[in-house]
Amino acid sequence: MNETLRVLVIGAHPDEPDIYAGGTAALYAKMGHKVKFLSLTNGEGGNYHLAGEELVRRRTEEAKKAAKALGFEEYEVLDCPDGQLLPTLQMRNEVIRQIRNWRADIVISFPEGCSHADNRYAGKIVSDASAFVALVPNVVPETPCLERAPLFLLMPDYSTRGEYRPDIVVDTGEVIEEKLLACDAHASQFYEYAPWANGILSDVPSDWAGKREFLLREWSPFFHISDEMRAPLSDRYGEERAEGIAYAEPFEIAPYNTRAIDRDIRALFPMFPDEG
Amino acid sequence: MTMTRPIRVIVIFAHPDEGEKYAGGTSALFAEMGHKVKFLALTNGDAGHFGMKGKELSDRRAREAQEAAARLGVEEYDILDYHDGELLASLEVRNEVIRQIRRWEADIVIAFHPEGCAHADNSYAGKAVSDAAAFVALVPNVVPDVPCLKNPPLFLLMPDYSMKEAYKADIVVDIGATIEKKLLGCDAHASQYYEYQPWSKGLPVETPERWEDRRRQVEQDIAKFLLSSPEMKPAMEKWYGKSQAERIQYAEPFEIAKYGGATDDETIAALFPMFGIENREVIA
Repeated sequence: MNETLRVLVIGAHPDEPDIYAGGTAALYAKMGHKVKFLSLTNGEGGNYHLAGEELVRRRTEEAKKAAKALGFEEYEVLDCPDGQLLPTLQMRNEVIRQIRNWRADIVISFPEGCSHADNRYAGKIVSDASAFVALVPNVVPETPCLERAPLFLLMPDYSTRGEYRPDIVVDTGEVIEEKLLACDAHASQFYEYAPWANGILSDVPSDWAGKREFLLREWSPFFHISDEMRAPLSDRYGEERAEGIAYAEPFEIAPYNTRAIDRDIRALFPMFPDEG
Repeated sequence: MTMTRPIRVIVIFAHPDEGEKYAGGTSALFAEMGHKVKFLALTNGDAGHFGMKGKELSDRRAREAQEAAARLGVEEYDILDYHDGELLASLEVRNEVIRQIRRWEADIVIAFHPEGCAHADNSYAGKAVSDAAAFVALVPNVVPDVPCLKNPPLFLLMPDYSMKEAYKADIVVDIGATIEKKLLGCDAHASQYYEYQPWSKGLPVETPERWEDRRRQVEQDIAKFLLSSPEMKPAMEKWYGKSQAERIQYAEPFEIAKYGGATDDETIAALFPMFGIENREVIA
């Protein structure tokens, strides 16, 4: 695989692709590959003083700004109400269309065991869609199907980090500022809703140095490496470099993949150093 | 315990051709021994082609299914009229599955895993059967239009292509005697084996004229679902005895579903007369 890679990250709410896969996305973008983020709900559940259309508009703007910070343009927010996502045929077919239209080589989404219903169903919808995106022209016939199934990866969310398998772990140290700025763009979440829900609203700093530290501290597991990532990092980056890695994002190879994975994993992850 | 009447088996799956591929040898064995087998596809298979679609395709696949049934000795092959690629574990599908299992008076139900299949239709087909299981026997008030069964059937799972690494081989059937029938059953689905599948692999789309060429092609295609493999060994030894197990070349494995009725060895021995258990003392 020589040409540009096309990556689609599918979350349930605007800000999830950013916090769980933003560094990896920024790396792809930096290397000249194409990335799109997709939120299956409009995020209208995510605030305490804003609601409805006003909140949706704000979060959509935040999403656009976050994409720019990560080095790409496409961040689509579907209009399904936050908190009401279900694995319907309509939603599955929309995801089939999205994956096909983006001509994705890699699709990253949630595992099916997430505790938040929207996240769990987002994972279920992508899993349900997966068998039909390539080589099944009779399903969703108005959108040409792909000639090859993409690689499906799972990004463990906050509730599944205790039980995932770190098949692929990406060193995100080089783009940690980009990822922090993407989170910063989702101010309604990282500086308002989440701190309010956690009772630490008064701790939110006002200057960037303070905010940066606040993000790294409060969302530490999604920036920093943890023990289970060390072995896979050594495998991909070599022991010496792996020892110096502080920031990383882990992914699990989805069980529903049909693509033969081993052969082309290196082609799909150009950020891994050459072997030998 | 021995069965005093023919054993009644229903194999439930998502697309016409899957019963053949995953349980065709076992089905043919039951049929050869005078037992009754029914196949039920929950979708009409109208997505399974690159050039044909809609009713033209589902009609063709229904004809292929009837031919396959004749070759396997399967008495009935029903296909529900849900679109391929649109199966959900709805109440409507579940209740139809309850009706089908009851009407067939099934002793054994063979279905897909309710979770884990890579194909959504297959997963939902497994889910619909697992959802139906609690209601088929002794619950007359659910689906009251078809009398409920007196005994819950034995529910078994057949691992599809995506579950081969993740299933438990509880019961393994030696299909050496019916392998030819299984291959012929698959061969009946020309739209799949000689058209859609080669197309999706980028191979030339043509139906070999000679049976031995078609046979070779099908055999290669479904090798994983024909040959015995190491994970089946304990079950083969349990049900056939060590020395006979060593000679088993072709086999179909099944997992006992967690949601079924009695699953003791004696029940299974009675329901799988091909094991010839009464002649041996393997079951304590």
